[in-house]
Amino acid sequence: MSGSQKHLKGMSYAKYGYLFALPFILIFLFFTLYPTIYTMILGFTDAQGVGNTTSFLEEPFENFRRILTNNTFITSLKNTVILWMLNFIPQITLAMVLTAWFTARRITIKGQGFFKVLFYMPNIITAATIAILFNALFGYPNGPVNDFLVSTGLKESSVNFFVSKTGSQLIVAFIQFWIWYGNTMIVLISGVLGISPDIYEAADIDGANGLQIFFRITIPNLKTVLLYTLVTSLIGGLNMFDIPKLYLRGGPDNATKTVSVFIYDLAFTGKQQFARAAAASMLMFIIISLCSAFLFWLLRDKEAIALEKMKKQEMKEKRKGMSGL
Amino acid sequence: MKKALSLLAALSLMASFTACGGDTSETADTQSEASSSSEAATDESSEESTSDGSKIKLNVYAFTDEVPNMIKKFMDTHPDFAAKYEMNDTQIPTTDGLYQPALDQALADGSVDLFAAEAAFVLKYTQGEASKYAAPYEDLGIDVNQKIKDAEIAQYTVDIGTNPDGKVVALGYQATGGAFIYRRSIAKDAFGADDPATVSAAIGGGTQSWDKFYEAAEQLKGKGYGIVSGDGDIWHAVENSSDQGWIVNDKLHIDPKREAFLDLSKQLMDNDYHNDTTDWTDDWYADMAGTGSKGILGFFGPAWLINYTIGKNCGGSAVGEGTYGDWAVCEPPIGFFWGGTWLLGTNDSQNKEAVGEIIEWITLNTEEDGLQYMWANGTFNGEGGTKDAVASNVVMKKSDGTLDFLGGQDMFDAFVPANNYANGKNLTQYDEKINSFWRDQVRMYTSGQKSREDAIADFKQSVLDELDIEAE
Amino acid sequence: MSKNAPGKNKWTVAYTVFQYIVCILLTCLSLLPFIIMIVNATRSSAQIQAHAISFLPGTNFSANMKVLTTKTFHPLTGFFNSAIIAVSATFLSVYFSTMTAYSIVAYDWKFKKAFFALIMAVLMIPTQVSSIGFYQFMYKINMTNNFLALILPAIAAPATVFFMRQYMIPALPMSIVQSARIDGASEFRTFNQIVIPMCKPGMATQAIFTFVTQWNNLFMPMILLTEKDKWTMPMMVSQLSGDMYKTEYGAVYLGLLLTVLPIFVIYFILSKYIIAGVALGGVKE
Repeated sequence: MSGSQKHLKGMSYAKYGYLFALPFILIFLFFTLYPTIYTMILGFTDAQGVGNTTSFLEEPFENFRRILTNNTFITSLKNTVILWMLNFIPQITLAMVLTAWFTARRITIKGQGFFKVLFYMPNIITAATIAILFNALFGYPNGPVNDFLVSTGLKESSVNFFVSKTGSQLIVAFIQFWIWYGNTMIVLISGVLGISPDIYEAADIDGANGLQIFFRITIPNLKTVLLYTLVTSLIGGLNMFDIPKLYLRGGPDNATKTVSVFIYDLAFTGKQQFARAAAASMLMFIIISLCSAFLFWLLRDKEAIALEKMKKQEMKEKRKGMSGL
Repeated sequence: MKKALSLLAALSLMASFTACGGDTSETADTQSEASSSSEAATDESSEESTSDGSKIKLNVYAFTDEVPNMIKKFMDTHPDFAAKYEMNDTQIPTTDGLYQPALDQALADGSVDLFAAEAAFVLKYTQGEASKYAAPYEDLGIDVNQKIKDAEIAQYTVDIGTNPDGKVVALGYQATGGAFIYRRSIAKDAFGADDPATVSAAIGGGTQSWDKFYEAAEQLKGKGYGIVSGDGDIWHAVENSSDQGWIVNDKLHIDPKREAFLDLSKQLMDNDYHNDTTDWTDDWYADMAGTGSKGILGFFGPAWLINYTIGKNCGGSAVGEGTYGDWAVCEPPIGFFWGGTWLLGTNDSQNKEAVGEIIEWITLNTEEDGLQYMWANGTFNGEGGTKDAVASNVVMKKSDGTLDFLGGQDMFDAFVPANNYANGKNLTQYDEKINSFWRDQVRMYTSGQKSREDAIADFKQSVLDELDIEAE
Repeated sequence: MSKNAPGKNKWTVAYTVFQYIVCILLTCLSLLPFIIMIVNATRSSAQIQAHAISFLPGTNFSANMKVLTTKTFHPLTGFFNSAIIAVSATFLSVYFSTMTAYSIVAYDWKFKKAFFALIMAVLMIPTQVSSIGFYQFMYKINMTNNFLALILPAIAAPATVFFMRQYMIPALPMSIVQSARIDGASEFRTFNQIVIPMCKPGMATQAIFTFVTQWNNLFMPMILLTEKDKWTMPMMVSQLSGDMYKTEYGAVYLGLLLTVLPIFVIYFILSKYIIAGVALGGVKE
């Protein structure tokens, strides 16, 4: 017994870490690395259009400078942030509430399996279909929403949602919210299901009520999955593309033009300014990285970090002791 | 800070992977070897088949099945040709914006023999960025200048298909010269008669000015009608009437006639001359069936708008149902064209003569067994098909464009002259994008959210930001 | 469950009613697009263009089916191709991502932190532009018209790895792994027979997400697969609406419906994990 334990301690498992990460690394090197580096380099060239020769720019950061002074880029950045906030805050709130309801141990909702399955369904349909649907819903002057507004007397005459900047932003944000809340909810629920039932049983024995259990046990244990949700919706939100592109092609008056739509338009339409689009991509990458780093810092696991520090301290002292000998 | 450091570490990790990674690159090599060897195998097999005396592949790129179906028809009717060649067609729709990237890639690889281009982007391939790939029709073995004269091909289609060296590299089969397509019952009520001459006179047909058109709009308003469905309807005529295109000497140029669209659109809006719809939305279609907010006199459009759009959305399929049979065509105040497909062969093609034969049959043949005759008379898929205006006036003159939908009118009477009025010289390769910026800003001005000056300034800004083209 | 205080009861009832109202409203919102899709699949193009939204079915179902099959729409080929790509990509993605996440959570190795940072960095790269590099690369190495170009990249799925890592940290007690080691199980066996069953709920959700994304993927297949017998379902549907001037909307909706059906099947199979929660796969300490 003691022999085998010794053996265990002495054995290094690090090589399995490398081994298990190997498939990811290989595929990454083969399929992802080249396009990524290609994009990075492209940002410093004058690549544009079809079949033209490409060379490096004399002023290496010209593309970056031109993007940062590009009004439409700045507008699209603002739009992206607005659209993300408008959809993410209600989305995470609703997803949390539903998670609390569907994982509650006291008051169980009948047919919750049915609801859980249904709420994810908007995520199944392609964005193009959803864009067509909402375009028809908000038709002007006689779409279903306008018919409703006029017949109920909420509005005297039809509203042209297609030329309303705020209206379009709200609609796009709503679509995003509606497509993604189910997805977020499923992620959170699966996180709760991963929490050991023992902890809950202990809380039950201690006589904690539903709210206490949710805030004292579920949330803290959900922190890592919550970080995932925050970071991925941040990344997804800042890369928002399909719905803004398909609903009104970024209009009206650029009100729903997000950075991704801007980048796509630069690279794939008109002059096909690949180089400038690549520069905009890299800038976006930097912005997203900074925001994500902030989230990681915000939700860092203080106890784990403290524990690690202690360990290191111990090691140091040990070494000191050793050298002292 | 810590995260920034680990990011740096990530980057250096990436760098070290690329630097060392001995065995990883080996796997990559074997993988590509495997795929290239499988490719070599397919190459061999295709070579084998050609040496056996069987077929050579013609690579065709198209955005719908229309052109591939024509080529199939050509092969069916030309068995000698079909014995030698077969078509390998790639169809990628334009709706998802993928046709051009894929086509460009294939063109750069030299793996395209023949491709189709739509009016919205054809100039990129005939006169713009990608015109270096297009082979002059002469090089495909077509006596193009003589044939164009013989067939009386609509001049605007030739202008669009001519490259900067003055050589024809693209022609269409359809002609998309536009006319004014109006409701007979509404014309009768407003102008007292529904014949094309009366209506054309009332709306100022051929006057090159919008004055009479707006007088007619006032007259229609008195009877409770609108003249068009939305401002998008007059845009194509306005666009095509300008003396110069959007780009003059590499600078953005706003032609006075295009700038006037701001005022024309505002006038329609402020005077309630239309239903304020947007083209290709439900309410626009509703005006074709006569079920919109108020009755609409008509639409500006080419023959395809009648057959594919108004016809399908008129609310019926026989005289008496919906607005079927209540339509007629007359001369518009200003000539224009809208849409169309052009065919191009490539310089890199190894089968130029074969490509030339197909292209000639589709774009220049005026015989009754040529494509255009079948297309004009609706016999391409057997009797009773959809009739459409074609590029050759010779073909249209010997064809029958009578439609029950138009109350028995022969639509070619209106579309032959319409094709001659259309202008193919004021277009640029970025028009699709510039037009959408322009119409967006016009909508902002018309809906009262922006001043005229701001709309123009923001338009210039958008063009600068996204196309890197400065204003004059 | 507990009815200890009668005064509390009224509030509990009101609260429950509120819960059900919210759930039913959300259900209606979820069902709306599907109902419209089904109804429109039975209507003619003209009917749809006149009123895109209607709850009254039409009589054009068989006519739409005819249009669908005379066009370049071959449901069986498309289904088969889509299934090969989506199923294998999902399987590889979920399995290897779990493995990668496990390597980060369970082992201490030198470049672990840098590796995780790299994964996060990959996750943050905007995809619009790097796709240019990707398809040019695929052209260069002749992997166009090869399903592997669409399947293999799924192995390096940063979002899935990230999720599985976050999921494992609280859900995977290392003591179980330790005891497996003591029992003499190899690391690989421990992973397959102990770790994977414990991660099932997390893997199931990721499988659903990956499958849906892969099944609906249009951009890359469209550019990489030029041979018609390799087309996927969404490509065929997109082909139907390729010509905006004469789109057959009824057939498009029918095509969309046929495309979405297989997702339903997979989703309902996998959803048992998110409904019931096979928490900890029966390995209870």
